[in-house]
Amino acid sequence: MEEIKNKIYQRLTEAFPEITEHKLDFPYNRLDVKIPKNKVPAILFYLKDEMGFKHLVHITCVDWIEEEKFELIFIVWSPKEKVKVFVRTELDRNNPVMDNIDMIWRQANTYERELREMFGIQFEGLVAPKEFILEDWDDIPPMRRDFDTEAYAKKRFFERPGREDAKDVRQTIAERTGESLPDFAKKYSR
Amino acid sequence: MDILIKILGAVATIIIAFVVGMLYGGLNRKVTARVQNRVGPPFWQNYLDAFKLVSKKTSIHHGVMQHLGPAFLMVSSIGTLLFIPILKGNNWFPNLSFHGDLIFLLYLMVFGSLGLALGAGQTGNPNSAIGVTRGLSQMVGFEIPWVMALVAIMIQYHTTSIADIMHVQEVHGWLMFQKPFAFIAAILAMFGMFRYSPFDIVGAPAELASGPVSEFGGKYLGLMMSSGSIFAFVKLTLYTDLFLGGASNFIELLVKTFLLYMIPVSYGLVSPRYRTEQAVRYFWGWPSFFGLLAILYSVIF
Amino acid sequence: MVNDKNSQKIVDIIQNFARKHSLFVLAYGTGCGAIEIPPTMTSRYDAERFGIRGAATPRQADVLLITGYLTTKTLKRVIRVYEQMQDPKYVIGFGSCTINGGMYWDSYNTIKVLDKYLPVDIYINGCMPRPEAVIEGFIKLQKKIAEGRADGAKQYKENFEWYRANQKKVLGPTTPHIQEYNW
Repeated sequence: MEEIKNKIYQRLTEAFPEITEHKLDFPYNRLDVKIPKNKVPAILFYLKDEMGFKHLVHITCVDWIEEEKFELIFIVWSPKEKVKVFVRTELDRNNPVMDNIDMIWRQANTYERELREMFGIQFEGLVAPKEFILEDWDDIPPMRRDFDTEAYAKKRFFERPGREDAKDVRQTIAERTGESLPDFAKKYSR
Repeated sequence: MDILIKILGAVATIIIAFVVGMLYGGLNRKVTARVQNRVGPPFWQNYLDAFKLVSKKTSIHHGVMQHLGPAFLMVSSIGTLLFIPILKGNNWFPNLSFHGDLIFLLYLMVFGSLGLALGAGQTGNPNSAIGVTRGLSQMVGFEIPWVMALVAIMIQYHTTSIADIMHVQEVHGWLMFQKPFAFIAAILAMFGMFRYSPFDIVGAPAELASGPVSEFGGKYLGLMMSSGSIFAFVKLTLYTDLFLGGASNFIELLVKTFLLYMIPVSYGLVSPRYRTEQAVRYFWGWPSFFGLLAILYSVIF
Repeated sequence: MVNDKNSQKIVDIIQNFARKHSLFVLAYGTGCGAIEIPPTMTSRYDAERFGIRGAATPRQADVLLITGYLTTKTLKRVIRVYEQMQDPKYVIGFGSCTINGGMYWDSYNTIKVLDKYLPVDIYINGCMPRPEAVIEGFIKLQKKIAEGRADGAKQYKENFEWYRANQKKVLGPTTPHIQEYNW
């Protein structure tokens, strides 16, 4: 497996000298490369057509809020050699714009719609209807790390009295009536 | 006085058909449950279902034709019921039979489905429209062996009245043994008429949200389920009169219809569902072949 | 018979007997609790001996089972389904997500208390309740019907403005605006 991964990495660096970082020593068949964002469609075309990575597994995003960037990850899989390649790019967090890649794989349309809704990343050239998962949403995109779900839920929805937080219900009722819990019941309280 | 006895006989026939038909439906559910290794509902479950459906407080309908659709079904069932002699040679129950009544019954039985089709068409639900087309296509399938079997009987004995056929059977013996090909073709057509498995693609709940009945609720659904049970009893009695020699008292009628009823029930328990084109292709295969043999046999001999 | 508020007429007693012994459950699983419905209905924990069977469309059904969490997207459709059913109709809330939010108590998308949007007759708790618990819930519903106290539909009609106001608070501008979806 190591030779296969090394061979793939050699071919990629010959074709694309802009690869900034790489990591090959994951324990199983995974291989990471990092590349600037304007070269991503080109490297994905190359992986699909010339190296046999026919299947797009997922497009996902990591929110590095301290360094103020989004990191997009494209995962592709080759059924012949059974190797996964993770292609990573970085986007600016205050203005996240990316190219649309659903002419390469059609399922990228769905993944890009989800990212547009959940993180706020704009994909140029994406043609899709407006709402996918969240209907009538009126706040910042909810998967960002500066969105507080508990405060939003308290503001918008009713709550059952006696169950406002994640404390064990037995403990709440015990405190209200002033009795004491046995030891085996305390094990499951937070 | 004679008219009064006939009217009372007709009313009693309707009540008996309702009670016995629903009872057979409940027994069907009980037998199915026992075969599937569980305790099923009690055998009076269908009466409770009908009563609950009729006692719903609001009823929603989309127009006059939907209101009249179940009424057409009920009229077809009861009309067919009143033209069949239930008991043999009895003064109370010859009802309205006359000389050409076998041919008349053939087209009266189809009248109910057309009424249901009109009612379902007015709801505007596309599921209903597709379900109705499937039901009518299947009807094209099973009518062919059924009509061939009846034509074979009519040719051989030169009569079209059910009472005459029952008299013939007293002389010659049961038609089940005299004309076996016609009996086989008619039994195979019976599977399609009852709309149990494997030909229940029309009204099954998992197919198209139950097809034509998808917009009927409350008292319309109650009427349709009841008329389905009455229609089952009508068909069973018709088969008993034609092939099993009629019945001279009530117990014999119940025994014979129950034995006939167990044939589609027990075959339906173990078979999956056919698509519409597979069902029609099946009906134009072996059942029609047996019907053709029956006609040739009665013409030549 | 004396016609005070607590006694029932004979007609009501007979009708309730028929209603409680033949319940048609709408085959609609709204959340992850719907995985406990097929074991309840099939051979091992047989629910058909109580007269319970599945119905295909809301027009034919009596009982609506809310099995699990309800997002705001589903809530809009469930309200429409509930208003298309015919009286008398019952709602059963499955699992702890309908009681107090359950596992998703701090989620931005699910509702926490079902009672404010639809009139609920019986709650069954558990995550998910086992088939024995489901059958016990149905037996409690039968007892409630027999005493004449299962009138969620009447409660919905009488307090319709309050229910619509609560739904509008959580659904925003796309709340069903027609008076009631029973056409």
